[in-house]
Amino acid sequence: MKNLFFLFLLTIATFSCGEDDNAQPSDNFDRQAMLTHWADNIIIPGYVAFTGSTTDLQAAVADFVANPELATLSALRSAWETAYLDWQKVAMYEIGKAEELLLTNNLNIYPVDVAALDANINSGVYNLELPSTNDQQGFPALDYLLYGLDTDELTLVNLYADNESYRLYLQAVANRINTLAQAVLNDWTDRYRGEFVANDGNSATASVDRFVNDYIFFYEKHLRAGKVGIPAGVFSGAPLDNTVEAYYRRNFSKTLLLASLDAVQDFFNGKSFDGSSTGPSLAAYLTELNAEKDGLPLAEVINEQFDQTRVQVALLADDFTEQIAADNTVMLATYDQLQINVINLKVDMLQKLNINVDYVDADGD
Amino acid sequence: MNIRLITLLSLLSVTTFFACDDDDQGPSIDVPDTYEFSRNNESSVSFSGQTTRILMGEELIAAMKDFSFTAQQLQDMYANPDGVDPFANADLNASTKSIQSKVAASVDYFSTNTVDAAAIKADFSTWLDAQVNEVFPANQQLATAGTPGQIADGNSVRYVNAQGLEYNQMVNKSLIGALMMDQMLNNYLSTAVLDEASNRTENDNGTTVEAESYTNMEHKWDEAYGYLYGLSANPAEPNLTIGDDDNFLNEYVGRVASDPDFMTIDDAIFEAFKLGRAAIVAGDYKLRDEQAAIIRDQVSKVIAVRGVYYLQQGKKALETTPIAYGGVFHDLSEAYGFIYSLQFSRRGDAQAPYFDNSEVQAFLTDLLGDGTNGLWDVTPATIDAISTAIATAFGFTVAEAAE
Repeated sequence: MKNLFFLFLLTIATFSCGEDDNAQPSDNFDRQAMLTHWADNIIIPGYVAFTGSTTDLQAAVADFVANPELATLSALRSAWETAYLDWQKVAMYEIGKAEELLLTNNLNIYPVDVAALDANINSGVYNLELPSTNDQQGFPALDYLLYGLDTDELTLVNLYADNESYRLYLQAVANRINTLAQAVLNDWTDRYRGEFVANDGNSATASVDRFVNDYIFFYEKHLRAGKVGIPAGVFSGAPLDNTVEAYYRRNFSKTLLLASLDAVQDFFNGKSFDGSSTGPSLAAYLTELNAEKDGLPLAEVINEQFDQTRVQVALLADDFTEQIAADNTVMLATYDQLQINVINLKVDMLQKLNINVDYVDADGD
Repeated sequence: MNIRLITLLSLLSVTTFFACDDDDQGPSIDVPDTYEFSRNNESSVSFSGQTTRILMGEELIAAMKDFSFTAQQLQDMYANPDGVDPFANADLNASTKSIQSKVAASVDYFSTNTVDAAAIKADFSTWLDAQVNEVFPANQQLATAGTPGQIADGNSVRYVNAQGLEYNQMVNKSLIGALMMDQMLNNYLSTAVLDEASNRTENDNGTTVEAESYTNMEHKWDEAYGYLYGLSANPAEPNLTIGDDDNFLNEYVGRVASDPDFMTIDDAIFEAFKLGRAAIVAGDYKLRDEQAAIIRDQVSKVIAVRGVYYLQQGKKALETTPIAYGGVFHDLSEAYGFIYSLQFSRRGDAQAPYFDNSEVQAFLTDLLGDGTNGLWDVTPATIDAISTAIATAFGFTVAEAAE
């Protein structure tokens, strides 16, 4: 009897050990090699390109403010487009300094609050560091400042030529974008890269677990919902065409959506930022685990779905406002395609990688 | 399933039926499926006064987030004095009722305790003034330790005092206890109110209040009901929309019932209200009081579960890297109000709260006491200690309430 009891204890002890082992990598995939590849070949080069663009943007604003004319306006608009596109490639990395600074909230909350932005310009009193001003700055604010104030270019140029308050606000917005972008890049190169790569376990606070959560959060909330679902009225019942990304620029929403979709898929496949090579990735990880869905390799299923989504996106007009007015079902169909990969990534992939979802929909009060 | 098992089960259910019959020694009880009671083909259910006060609360907490309001306007919404029209809703201005008159105003807890009652009424008044005088002027600056201002909480912006507290959350969540729960559990469900004067005789004889279709006792019970279901889309079947009908007690009964560990709590509360009301119609006062005891325990538990939930949410935000202070402050400001509300809780089996005024004050002092800057300095250990103390008193676990 005594022996039996001892055996019982032993059994419990064995089970306990088994549970503890779950905190350690349960597979042979080299997570640190993947983190290193992500940091050195994808994320940091992405931020280098982005800060290059935001520096150019700041310079283009300075040129325009010094000489408000059609040529400098055109150069500024082009710099804004480039920076906005480069932003799409790094928007999903909301971790480390970007998380601390709430980078996305500062750079890309849309629709822009036009009434508040106008009030800022008119009063000349504003502090863009305040979270309550998130919807009065960033790329959407520039969208309004460069395209929304007037549709006639010459009138727009004259508005800036005649009003210092407009010139100051334009500069304040562009400077802040660049300052925030630089801060994030500097933190990656000075400090965070080391911490990110070293934290290679698979607990809830390990880099892979947290980063993959941020990645899927971005895909679900910002790409699927923000760029397509919300304007298409998926969450409101009726379409909200003023909530499209780059509402005032027109003909640019689709370009931004495609850039974002490409970035998400490239990241999944571990494609280096310069496009010259691939390295350890979520796709490779799933392949190593022989992960399948419905008898097919899960990584293939996910890639196939990204491609399907791109086929659907190709049917959209360049101007989403126009698309919503003409035939919103094409927007809804795009949302449906995007949604399929939410399931593949958030349910199937996370299950295979043994990662828990660390976010829930906000409490709402 | 084999025959013998079926037979056994039938026998069991027969036994159950007999047991039910045995209990019904008193008058026979006609329990409707929904909260609908009538006399002479006219509904005998009425709780418009409660609906009015909940609506006043809604306007007040919305105004606390609108920087255009003055302290005097907020105080007027709280006290609704003669000669001023503080509300946007004209019906509320026309009303002679107010929030303040029913804060800490129950017969059981405060009729001989005006000292505490006055202090509690003054707490709300103080918070309203402080919102306008401390937080509103700082709304265009960033909050830092020891300085009021705004702070990001995900996509939301929170406006906090120097200690990191949101006064609007404190008022909102503390009213759930001081107004709704106190009036419900310690006033209208109290035998001192239900059985006041000749209420029992009148109820036994079916004597209605002049010009109304209800007896006094029926009306008192309905007024308790109204503090939870007064804004329900369908007050006869309020659990169809529980959680969606107000920003006070209804919302949080719904929230707690959406936690799998407490998923029957909304039904338990509603069924007790319905059976208790039917018992009054039948003149079965023992059964009535048994239902009141159930309501007291369950509604009190809602406040406790939600308090622990927000404490643990705050702790979670505190343990992220980087620390999400906006989230910490928001969750703990809600927790502050729920803890404050616990002094109005009621044990089913005694005329006493689960935690009295001084115990509640001790929790709140602890919550703000880890350093000189209140919530800026709070530690996970302090949050856990308060969580455990509350959960233990109510007989659930911190983990059950936490998610």
